[in-house]
Formats: sequence, C-alpha cells, structure tokens
Amino acid sequence: MKTSPRWLRTGALLAALTLGGALHAQEIVVSAAASLTNAFQAVGQAFEKSHPGAKVTFNFAASGALLAQMQQGAPVDVFASADQETMNRAATAQLLADGSRADFVQNTLVLIVPAAATTTPQKLEELTGAAYKRISTGTPTSVPVGRYTMDAVQQAGLAAALEPKWIYGESVRQVLNYVARGEVDAGFVYRTDALIERDKTRIALTVPTAKPVSYPIAVLAGSKNATTARDFVAFVRSEPGQQVLGGFGFSKP
Amino acid sequence: MTPILDIQVQLVLQSPGRRFVLDAAFGSSTMRTALMGASGSGKSTVLMAMAGLVPQVRGHVRIGAQTLLDSTRHIDLPARERRIGLVFQDYALFPHRTVAQNLEFGVHRLGQRLKDEDRAHIEALVRQFDLGPLRGALPRHLSGGQRQRVALARALAPRPHLLLLDEPLSALDTPLRTRLRAELAEMLERVQVPTLLVTHDPHDVHALAQTVVHLDGGRVVSAATSQAHGGA
Amino acid sequence: MLTPLWLTLKVALLATLLSGAAGIALAWWMSRRRFAGQSIADAILMLPMVLPPTVLGYYLIVLIGRNGVLGQYLDRWFGVNLMFTWQGAVIAASVVSLPLIYKAARAAFEEVDGRLTHAARTLGAGEFEVFVRIALPLAVRGIAAGLMLAFARAMGEFGATLMIAGNLPGKTQTLSIAVYDAVQAGNDAQALGLTLVISLVCIVVLVLSGRLLQARH
Repeated sequence: MKTSPRWLRTGALLAALTLGGALHAQEIVVSAAASLTNAFQAVGQAFEKSHPGAKVTFNFAASGALLAQMQQGAPVDVFASADQETMNRAATAQLLADGSRADFVQNTLVLIVPAAATTTPQKLEELTGAAYKRISTGTPTSVPVGRYTMDAVQQAGLAAALEPKWIYGESVRQVLNYVARGEVDAGFVYRTDALIERDKTRIALTVPTAKPVSYPIAVLAGSKNATTARDFVAFVRSEPGQQVLGGFGFSKP
Repeated sequence: MTPILDIQVQLVLQSPGRRFVLDAAFGSSTMRTALMGASGSGKSTVLMAMAGLVPQVRGHVRIGAQTLLDSTRHIDLPARERRIGLVFQDYALFPHRTVAQNLEFGVHRLGQRLKDEDRAHIEALVRQFDLGPLRGALPRHLSGGQRQRVALARALAPRPHLLLLDEPLSALDTPLRTRLRAELAEMLERVQVPTLLVTHDPHDVHALAQTVVHLDGGRVVSAATSQAHGGA
Repeated sequence: MLTPLWLTLKVALLATLLSGAAGIALAWWMSRRRFAGQSIADAILMLPMVLPPTVLGYYLIVLIGRNGVLGQYLDRWFGVNLMFTWQGAVIAASVVSLPLIYKAARAAFEEVDGRLTHAARTLGAGEFEVFVRIALPLAVRGIAAGLMLAFARAMGEFGATLMIAGNLPGKTQTLSIAVYDAVQAGNDAQALGLTLVISLVCIVVLVLSGRLLQARH
C-alpha cells in the first residue's frame, strides 16, 4: 500500500492538529514504520480502551520519511522505527527523550512472489535467473527493509547480478503492493506484511539477516504529552500489547 | 438555351435565439447578375451556399451545363471541386503570404510545382490587374483598392466557371468606389466569366449587372433583366 | 546530479512532442465541428489539468499496469511493460500536459478568420491542406506558447510519474522525484543542489518562451 508523500502527510497532520483545537493532555501522535500499520492500529485501540481519555493519532510511512518529518519539526510524541539505524539518526539529531528508547518487537525478512506466479524460488540465487526481471524492495537510503535486503544480498554475493533488476518502493507497503498487483516478479518484505496480502502473494523463503530485524520505540524529547507518550510505550512493551503484536506475526524483542 | 445560372438554395441557420430560413430560387441568362437586398436579407448566405461552404443545403445549383448541387439526385460537390471564385467583402487575403503567393495558392496544391501554363496565366493576370510592383508585398501593406485587385486576380487564377463577388466595393470610401466601379465593369467585360455580385448599392447594379434579383428575408421577391443589355 | 537532469529533459521533450501532436490535431478537429456533446468532449480533454496527479496516476495504472486494461495485452503479446520505465514516465507527463496544448491550440485556431479557410477551400484546398497552409501558420504563436507551458508542466510532473515510473535512480528518477528522494533520506545538501538546477532550467525556459512570443510582435 502506498503512503502519500511526506509533505502531504505533514501538512495534513498539522492541519488536523490545528483544526482539532488545542491538544488535550492525553492526545498523542505516534509516527510508526509502515510495516506496523495494521498491528499498531489494533494496539492503539487496545491502549485507548485500557486508558480511558487517551487518544492516539497514527502516522505511518517509511522510517526514513518519518525521521525527515520530525527533523522538520513535525509535532510527534512517539517514534517506532523498523531498524536501529534510523533510531540512531534520531538520537544523533537529539530528538529523543533520555532513557525512553527500547526494542519492542522483532520481524523476519521474507522473499515473496505474486500468487499467480508459476514458479517459487527455493534459493536467493534463483533471482539471478531470466524469470525474475523486476525485483522490488524499499529505497535503501530511507526504507529499512531496503537496507536489510541489500545487506542480505551482499552477504549472498548477488549484489552485482541483481543490480539492474531493482524496483524501489517508497515504503515496505508499496513493495508489498507491487508484488500483489503483479507489477514485479518478486519482492522483499517483512513476514508481517506478507501475512496482510495472503491471497495475492506467496512467501517463497525466509531471508536470514546478519543483524536481527529489531524494532526500537522511543518518546520524543519535544513531546507535549510526555506522560501519555510514556504510557503508550509501556503498553506496547507490556504483555497485552505484545499479544496484539504477536497476533500480526511480530516476535518478541 | 441553357440558362447561365439556375439556382435554388434552401437552408436553415440556427443560433441561440435566432432562426433564419433561406429559400431563394432564381435564374439568369446574362453574364452578370446582381443580387440585391438590405443587410440581413441573406445575400451573403446565398453566395456561401452556392460555393459549397455551408452544410446541409437543399435545392440545386447549376452553372450552365454543370450541376454542382442537386439534392434530389444526391449530388453535392465539395467546395474545392466547384471551380467557383469567391471574393469576400474584406477580401480575405492570406496575411502571411505575399501577393504572388496569394495568387498562386489556387493554382497548385501542397507539394506540387507551378505548371508553366499556369505560371503564364498568372503573369497575364498580374499585367491585367496592374500588380507587377506589388508581387512581393504582404497584404497588410496594400491599400484597399490594391487588395481588391489582388482578391479578384486570386479568384480568377484557377480559371473558375463562376465568379461570386460579395459587396466588392463597400469596403472602399466613395471617391475610390466610383473609380473602381468603372474599373471593375471594364475588367468583368474583358474576363468573360459568369459573375454574380451581391450589393446593396443601386449604382453597382446599374454599372455592373444585366440582371438583378431582389432578396428580402431569405426569399426572392423579384427579378428583372435590363432592357439596355438585351435581356429576354 | 546531472543524470536526473538529462532524464527529465528527455522525458519532458518527448512528452511535449507526443501531447503536442495529439493536442494540435484534436484542437483542429474540434474547432471545425459543432456537434452535440462537444462540451462534454472538451471537458474530458481538459480533465487531466484539474484531476489530482495521484488520481491520474491511478487511472494510468489501471490502464497500463501489467494487469491493466491495455497493459495486459502489451505484456502478453509484446512482452512490454510500461511500469517503472522512462517510457511510462513519458506517457504520464504527456497526459498531464495535453490539456495545456489543446486549450492553447484550440484558442489559436478559433482566432483564425473563418473567411481565410473558406477562401482556401474555394481555391481548391482539401482539409489537410487548409490545416497546413492556412490554419497552422496563422495559429503558430498561440500554439508555441502552449507547447512551452506543456514542456514546463512535463518537466515538473511528479505525482502521476512517481506512481507509474517509480523512483529508480538513473532510469526513472526525474529531477522532482530526486528532490523528494533526497528530502526523504535527510540529504538536504543534495535536495538544495537539485532544486537550484531545476529552478535554473525553468527560468531559462521562461525567458526563451518570452522572447519567442515577443519576437512575433
């Protein structure tokens, strides 16, 4: 699923916040990686139920895009990224509240093909074949799944062979969409994303990554509602939160 | 004897708020015929219909033995095949072409070269209409009288079977008009092509036509041939 | 930094040629006729100018995507897939620039005195000849202005292009997409450099078109 352009989302966010009047002390904005879309929406509902009066607004996009928004001053309370690198950049930019950072889930990188595909690759090496003209993953500079993919591909020694075949998506959800629509022959997404498009895609194989696909979450230093923000992070890491996330295919941190 | 002109044009012009019905039938056995009427009587429309520039005309248009339109027999030649020379009220010279190029337009098609015999014919017209020094000029640099001569020569260059003149002199001021009327009369006599001219000026009729047809509200109300010109 | 520039110029130039040919032909054809439903046809031709680029992008995907209305035959019969190609970007850019040329050409043709085309017809010219020898030369100033606008629009096309051609550096990453990409990656220096390049090119296009229109006065 494609997310709308960064400027549009920031603008819409600002507009919503302005038009909605002054934020109540219990309203927070959570910027989360695109792969968390379905899972976090469920977590948000569970959080609001267990914390009456609290309201969560979500903002989903590629982790790199979310970081860019925050660097431009978007009023975000909580940031959940799909990789450590993006969170590290946020820390370097001094955007995070001290001591609030923690890893909260893990995910797996998988190779998927369109459901209508006649063959299913058994090994990564098969992607170098003529049957795979277009392979999709996220833009490595701003989308974590792209970085995980490039690391794995490099480890397997296939970087040069696959170089001309890449079709980059703006987020992991766009990659998923390209595969679901059959626009590409194969794509790298997280297992949790593949489960969303069960009827239109097929998992071919799990891709081992050198570093675990570990998601960190943190409260932002500039949060106007730090209490509710910390409550949310705590909920995500608590047993009820973890159960919701587990239902979507995420594993414990 | 076949009449020179045998015309019947019927059409309806529709625009928001207005509906104009033209139903004009007339004939002529003389070389020069005038179509007279007040403005709004439909004179110009008759010319346009005869030239094939108006769609959905019923009736017939015969020039001598040639039939250009006959709706009962499903004959309707497109304008480009009718061999009619039409001179508009404001001459409609091609502003982006020189006098020479305007004259040559009707005589060769896109991509074709000018044939020698056509070139000679145009030269004759240039002499006849005194256009020599104006050959390379653009229409916007010409006077009213000069433009009229170019327009006539251009219409005559492809050797038409019929010449239609729409108020040929009304764009000119009075002293010029008188002089050019005489010139036009002399030229039409020389050129010997059947001519139908539209005018609201009785002086034009007297000097230039042998038959006059009166048009009012889209219908012919009378027609007469001058005895002095030996009409029947 | 130069690759997106050459790519953008290539795509914009080809798109302008494509929409130019189509727009001029359509404008001439429409200006000569009056038929019922003409205003609806007009509105459809102008639609890409008012539709949001993402809506256009979606329509194009439905049309030329691999499983699209036309795309599936292109794929099945010719093995051709326009998604993620610079050719797809050309199509997206042509669609958004078509209304600009159509509108300008239509207005220019309607300004040509009808009596001139009538005179041409009585002098033996067929419709194509009337178009080439009379209408086009007299409408060329308005058409040129329309082409300039179309070129600028094609150069700046982003939304629909991103959806059809994607963001492939060196292949379909046009200047505007490159700026977006740089901002997304937090690369402000690159974004600024690209923005300056595109601004410079736009200024040059505007100055040239201004001179072109002035020279004819």
